[in-house]
Amino acid sequence: MTNLPPFVNEPVLELRRSAVRSRLAGALQALDSQLPFTVPVMIAGHQRTDPDFVSTDPGHPDSVVAQVAAAREAEVDEAVRTAARGVQSWSRVSAAERAQALLRAAAWLRERRLDLAALEVRECAKPWPEADADVCEAIDFLEYYARGAVELEGGRPLIQIPGERNDLRYFPRGVTAVISPWNFPLAIPCGMTSAALATGNSVVLKPAEQSPACALRLVQALRAGGVPEAVVSLVPGEGGAGSQLVRHPGVQTIAFTGSQAVGVEIMRSAAEVAPGQLHIKRVIAELGGKNCVIVDSDADLDDAVPGIVASAFNYAGQKCSAAARVLVHEAVADRLLERLGGATSLLVVGQAADLGTEVPPVIERSAQELVQRYVALGHQQGTIVGGIADVPTPGWFCAPTVVTDLPADSSLLRDEIFGPVLAVESVRSIEEACDIVDGLPVALTGGLYARDPATIRYVRERSPVGNLYINRGTTGAKVGRQPFGGNRLSGNGTKAGGPDYLLHFVEPRAVTENTVRHGLVV
Amino acid sequence: MSESLTPNTNQSELESAIRSIGQRLAEAMPSGTRNPVKALDARAMELASGDRELRAALFRFVDVVPACRSLEDVARHLRGFLAELPEAPPSLSAALRVTDIRAARTALGAAAAAGVRHMAHRFIVGEDPAAAIRVLRGLWERGVASSVDLLGEATVTQDEADVYAARCAEALRHIHAQAGTWPARPVLEQDSSGSLPRTNVSVKISALTPLLRPDAPALGERDAAARLLPLLRTGQELGAHIHVDMESLDSREAVLELILELLSGQEFLHGPSVGMVLQAYLRDSPEQLETILSWARSTRRRPPLQIRLVKGAYWDHELVEARQQGWPAPVFERKADCDRNFEGLTRVLLDARPAVRVAVASHNLRSVSHAIAYNRLSGGQDQDLEIQVLRGLGDELQDALAANGFRVRTYCPVGDLVAGMAYLVRRLLENTSNESFLHEQASGRSLDELLAAP
Repeated sequence: MTNLPPFVNEPVLELRRSAVRSRLAGALQALDSQLPFTVPVMIAGHQRTDPDFVSTDPGHPDSVVAQVAAAREAEVDEAVRTAARGVQSWSRVSAAERAQALLRAAAWLRERRLDLAALEVRECAKPWPEADADVCEAIDFLEYYARGAVELEGGRPLIQIPGERNDLRYFPRGVTAVISPWNFPLAIPCGMTSAALATGNSVVLKPAEQSPACALRLVQALRAGGVPEAVVSLVPGEGGAGSQLVRHPGVQTIAFTGSQAVGVEIMRSAAEVAPGQLHIKRVIAELGGKNCVIVDSDADLDDAVPGIVASAFNYAGQKCSAAARVLVHEAVADRLLERLGGATSLLVVGQAADLGTEVPPVIERSAQELVQRYVALGHQQGTIVGGIADVPTPGWFCAPTVVTDLPADSSLLRDEIFGPVLAVESVRSIEEACDIVDGLPVALTGGLYARDPATIRYVRERSPVGNLYINRGTTGAKVGRQPFGGNRLSGNGTKAGGPDYLLHFVEPRAVTENTVRHGLVV
Repeated sequence: MSESLTPNTNQSELESAIRSIGQRLAEAMPSGTRNPVKALDARAMELASGDRELRAALFRFVDVVPACRSLEDVARHLRGFLAELPEAPPSLSAALRVTDIRAARTALGAAAAAGVRHMAHRFIVGEDPAAAIRVLRGLWERGVASSVDLLGEATVTQDEADVYAARCAEALRHIHAQAGTWPARPVLEQDSSGSLPRTNVSVKISALTPLLRPDAPALGERDAAARLLPLLRTGQELGAHIHVDMESLDSREAVLELILELLSGQEFLHGPSVGMVLQAYLRDSPEQLETILSWARSTRRRPPLQIRLVKGAYWDHELVEARQQGWPAPVFERKADCDRNFEGLTRVLLDARPAVRVAVASHNLRSVSHAIAYNRLSGGQDQDLEIQVLRGLGDELQDALAANGFRVRTYCPVGDLVAGMAYLVRRLLENTSNESFLHEQASGRSLDELLAAP
């Protein structure tokens, strides 16, 4: 196979151009006319459709987006066994050929990008720019890992000595269970799945029950690209299927993105070796965070305020990378709070389909109730700054909230709320801010607004986070540019979209051959 | 290019006229050594132009000075930036060594802050309109008009937008009250379309509203309209000119639609005098101009809308944003292409009068001479072309133009150091860029080379 052109991130839609914006309404209409989708259980040639559960539009909860078949226990088992069969041949296909399948899948997504973005607008209430960015990220993962796998096939160089030939190569591990979230409903399942497939593994995909239609589109893309049916199965469900996959002795690798509670349980469960199991399961976990933005006294507040507002409140804060806390130097704390409060009051809380919406409804009723509980706690324990009085109804809308003066042990400072709530605290020094960050059990993203090079160096050295952003927002990681993943309880350092990610999905085998015959090197 | 020339002008006639006008202006430009303070600035600029890392360090320093809480803080930042240089110039190395002693640090901080303030004053005429008025009057008496631009923090809240709008209104009234006492200057007060206001204030839509969103321009447009409307009424009442600035591409649609919408209404059909900006570095500026001109011709508003033609001040930003998002660059990437487009747009604008009024804003002797030459060759009068320059960058050209009887207007930023930083950094960037005309002029290129077609 000839060399692929260098990887380039898929350009997002240039929505500042009216000609581009004018295409969106038509795409949404076209998508709406296809709803509701039917999402089947898909295992090789077998498809079962049944309206076991539904996914709905968070902005119009009565509107059904997909009718979904829930995979039964026997089907999950069948999916794993099918995947184990499928990987026999898939693992023997060259990396170049596997790469081509992924690139064809990327092309399939690219051709339908407006349609896919429209689906995310409906199924997950992702505002257009967010939805489009998610589709582009999915394309990016396919393109990036395709190239990575080709490179990885070459193995790693080892020291060679006369009479001895050493090589180190990477082989697929086998069946991969991919358990994916709804907040990046195409990109995250695509990232985990394509990394597994690129390296020769097979996949059983169990998507979040809130975004099954997006997962269906991913599977369609992969199959259209030429990934054999046995190699990627879809087992939708509301939870049981996931834990069954994790426990299944036929699964070699589990790729999970989701909450800390579930992630830790998966690791515990996956540690068990069932009778007859011939391997140690590997878990790749990307979990939550409580991301802090440090603002020093010499920060440019003109940059910091919009950056923090976007990081905390875009997509209603439903990102593991979202800013949850601000640690601001006392010298500028009052000014920052004033401007943050003012800017937050201006956020547009509205339907995802409306351009200009910054805070769409959260994903479901229980999420809205959770946010409301934390906001009520914020009113009790601290001071609310600025704010929006009314939010639309129906739909799971939450007003964005900035809260300060919280006691140090407030759960608002510890718990991942996954909603539009931002806590602001004043610190006496950057050292104190770093102490606070260092004291957290999580370390996913972090931000720093400062202009003294010594401060920047200091925070770089001390911050344990997986993704530190200096003088910009903490969200919007791009494949290849910001390999993404956290440390401590935020994950086991996966770094999706980075040069090391594929290593999680392979097993290394070193081979040494003695090339001496009768004293001669042959 | 020749297709945009009128039938009675040909290329070689135009080039020869450009040369003779350019020569005339160059001869009228005062030399730098007359003002020793200016020479000092020039030396600093030269230092910064030659060394990219030093330039970056100085810009980052200038940018952070207003946020520093004490002179020691200033010194600490200066030291931090300079310490990152592989090789600081000898004078600066000496300054670095000095910072080990507390008293010396304070002194260095004071010197550095003073240096930045001094540099800032080159570009900023005063902290507020009252402080600036002396300079404005001085300019007027020397035959130079002005447009006041109010610098400020970014507007991210409604309160900040209200404060800015109030400052604009206050500036209009204050300047108007003073300008009435200024002596007559017919060159600055009259053209073929009628009288020209003495009071001229530039406003930024991004400061008038915190709601500008690139993918939803109507939001910001509506919000800004609510504050622009009263300013237009004040302009109408005082007979003042209100110029609407153009900023980054992200807000262009909102700004353009806002202007054309407000001026289409009955209320403002006969005033006040309003201006807008066309940026020649944007590839689609010819299409933009067509949109504006067809509006102007169909609305037939009097006084005519003034179009200020500029190259553009956000080039780096536009390029970086486009590259980061994977979009095609919206700006010309080669200076010559931008300059050529500037000249093409100049000709279209001049041909379009009196549907619009024309101001050509540039420090490039070639661009300015081209405008004057084409105006004359196509039968226009000098009084129907205004040249605009930036305070601190175009001072010499400004004097040469005034001396030769042209109407020149200097864009005068007003505001404190904190507010002025983004502006100052951009001006320094412009001034020390290897491609800037001023840099080329200072580096001793011949007049012939400087006046050659792009």
